[in-house]
Amino acid sequence: MVAAEHPRVTVITGGGSGLGQATAIRLARNSDQVCICDLKAEAVNSTAELIRSAGGSVLTGVVDVREQSQVNSWIAQVIDKFGKIDCLFSNAGVNARAMVTNMTLAQWSLVIDTHVTGTFNFCQAALRHMAPRNSGAIVITSSDFAIVGVANAANYCAAKTALYSLTKSLALEFAPHIRVNAIGPGPIDTPLLRANRTPEEFAAARRAFEARLPMKRLGKPEEVAAVVDFLLSDRASFITGQLIQPNGGQVMW
Amino acid sequence: MPNIYEHQGRVAVVTGGNGGIGGAIAKRLAAEGAVVHTLDVQPAGADGRFHALDIGDEASVNGVFDAIGAEHGAIDYLICCAGIYRPQPFLGLSLDAWRRTLQINLTGMFLCCRAALKYMAPRRFGRIVLFSSMAARTGGKNVAHYAASKGGILGLARALAVEATADNIRVNAISPVITDTPMPRAVVSEEYLLSRKEQIPLGRIGNVQDMVEACLFLLGDDSSYMTGQELRVNGGSTLW
Repeated sequence: MVAAEHPRVTVITGGGSGLGQATAIRLARNSDQVCICDLKAEAVNSTAELIRSAGGSVLTGVVDVREQSQVNSWIAQVIDKFGKIDCLFSNAGVNARAMVTNMTLAQWSLVIDTHVTGTFNFCQAALRHMAPRNSGAIVITSSDFAIVGVANAANYCAAKTALYSLTKSLALEFAPHIRVNAIGPGPIDTPLLRANRTPEEFAAARRAFEARLPMKRLGKPEEVAAVVDFLLSDRASFITGQLIQPNGGQVMW
Repeated sequence: MPNIYEHQGRVAVVTGGNGGIGGAIAKRLAAEGAVVHTLDVQPAGADGRFHALDIGDEASVNGVFDAIGAEHGAIDYLICCAGIYRPQPFLGLSLDAWRRTLQINLTGMFLCCRAALKYMAPRRFGRIVLFSSMAARTGGKNVAHYAASKGGILGLARALAVEATADNIRVNAISPVITDTPMPRAVVSEEYLLSRKEQIPLGRIGNVQDMVEACLFLLGDDSSYMTGQELRVNGGSTLW
């Protein structure tokens, strides 16, 4: 493995909110050149504003991760500007809860395509630049639900399990020079966790999580960002193909 | 980057403190400003304060932890590395050899955890890292007793993680693959040790620095939402 030349160029998808935003802020503070994209322009701009006001450097993009042409052209911009990609945090995600019998194909495809095809698109585009340099690290946002199921989220569980499998395949395919790991966050207090829930429903969900979790609290996005930072760094230079779970003890295997 | 001052002044106990991994962890924690006590059966010096004992002996363990707890009024970190690795073909594995391995590797960790928790719980702070092994998952030839002891450590880590979390104590495990230390060299040839890199996707065997970084990550705030987890620091040799 070759140590990244300063500044490290780090690409983050889903950088407009939640885990992507917290990670972008943390890595920019570490003086990475961060490149963040999101489906929503205002979201990605608000993260960029937070980074710039703290003195960090950020490139933004509005990208639908499902669309390979959009992914490739934004990655081309990153390469044009910075000449390399050292790290990728493939994190863009979405949820569309429904019982399987009521789940539309659109709901199924939205979740599968965003997580799985989106991560494939970004990994392929980034690895084409990492592989020739024999250097790089990738973290993919999987979930505890890659290990345990949950009702009314068959699409989400299937997607997250696919991401764990993809992680393992990529780890083997690109060893020894490039490391690929997954994270399996538990319930983290992010906009995604609040999405499609009324405040009352979120409060009830939160109480249910807190009762069930050994740590009795939701995680904070910054607590996941710290794990992503660790996995992308040389501190984890002997860790690859693993699922690392900042999950409050929700799943212990 | 982690907070560089977070280990400053923490009272840490490292078992197997003269071993390759334990020794390196003790040295690093001391360098980061922690107050480090090392425990080992070998009567030799190490960084920080040294205590010679049989880690499987209840009275000795309690005595040492009580002395440390009394001296500092706190035990913040417990890092359990002490273990023995004495391969034996299964049919030749005596009950004594089985018991000895379980006593040192598993019961020793139980005793140390219990003795340390007595000082962690009242102050509502504790970080525990237990060293298991990939052998807990993969098994291996001639290591039934070792693999059983290391599997037991994962169960201990999870159960204690659930029980101790109410007192703000996190418990996690690290499972190394074969690591460049004196321990494996006592039973395998140098040639065999280095040949193991062929089965490791990252192209090398582990080194103590890998384990030190993993351990400091699990002790520090970067892992604040992790408990009951096993960090497999194995170069990708086993992906489950």
